[in-house]
Amino acid sequence: MDLKFLVVDDSVTMRRIVINSLRNLGYAEFVEAQDGKDALEKLAADDSITFVITDWNMPIVSGLELIRAIKTDAKLCKLPVLMVTTRGIKEDIIEALNAKVNNYIVKPFTPHILKEKIDQILSNLS
Amino acid sequence: MKQATNLGELFAKLNDLKSLFHYGQKMIPIIQNLIDFMGETVPLLENINQSIAESTAKIPKATNQITNVTSANELATTEILDTVDAISSDIFNSEIVINNVIKTQAQKVELYNQLKEQLKGNDKAESTLSQIISLDETVDTVKPLLEIFDKIKTGAYNITLSLQVQDITAQQLAAVNHLIESVQSKLSSLLTEFSEADVKEVKVNKFEFSDSTKAAFNPDARYEDMKETQQMADDLINKTNLTTASQDEIDKLFS
Repeated sequence: MDLKFLVVDDSVTMRRIVINSLRNLGYAEFVEAQDGKDALEKLAADDSITFVITDWNMPIVSGLELIRAIKTDAKLCKLPVLMVTTRGIKEDIIEALNAKVNNYIVKPFTPHILKEKIDQILSNLS
Repeated sequence: MKQATNLGELFAKLNDLKSLFHYGQKMIPIIQNLIDFMGETVPLLENINQSIAESTAKIPKATNQITNVTSANELATTEILDTVDAISSDIFNSEIVINNVIKTQAQKVELYNQLKEQLKGNDKAESTLSQIISLDETVDTVKPLLEIFDKIKTGAYNITLSLQVQDITAQQLAAVNHLIESVQSKLSSLLTEFSEADVKEVKVNKFEFSDSTKAAFNPDARYEDMKETQQMADDLINKTNLTTASQDEIDKLFS
């Protein structure tokens, strides 16, 4: 399946690492956003984006707020969202689940985990 | 009769006044001590005030230094990533060259075999051809290179993954910065109340530490093996089957 990823993180380093990992997994199309607000603008401007990978702690609009915005938008609600974050406590995971995140990765991540979660999301969608 | 009553009241009042003077005489040394204490305390308080003012003034420099450390780390990380990307790109291009060499070599072997057939009966030519073939065994020489390239690629990718530490430490430093700025803010307000000292306020982030879900950093960010935490996230997601998790379900999961 050809996916176009929107990678959202305020850290340039993390965006590059995630994109490098996706490239190693054979994916080729990426859009970057530096926070939730930027991500929503990119989503509004580009309807070919098919998968969102987002951090949680970001300025302006956080990853959690981004997920809520996506999942409550009639046009975007079916867009799969994978959260990649340093936040690993139970309450945070519950909060992300309640916001209807499709899957959750705790940083630092491994390529194996990234592949596994993307595959899980895709198999749940199909 | 009335005059006698008035005199009695007068004497009573004079007695009260006498008691007051008597009490006042006893109080004088205490008041003197209090004045002396205040006299000694004021310079001390001024010293404390001065010290707080100096410390407070130094805090913005400390936060700037932490910000500089973060920026320097990010720059260095970007340089490392650039170098790793360049190495990966060189390896990728070298692999293409080597694969082409292997492909060409296979074609050469095919041609050598055809030539061998054509030269049958000409011992000298056959012998020369055998020597050429033995000298031209490039495939065996270059194939191990591909294995080495694979190892380099894996190593380069592992370096890239390890650089996640930059993001995690940046969040830790941002948390420390926030803490320092909060202390500075408190000290500044204390100083203002204390002596209306004019200490320059530094910008303090609006978000509270207690609600770090809205902060641009996670104060609890750690760079370590997250297998157990990831397992907890996986269990939560699997158990709730990607639907909304109730607190009861979560509690059952962890009971």
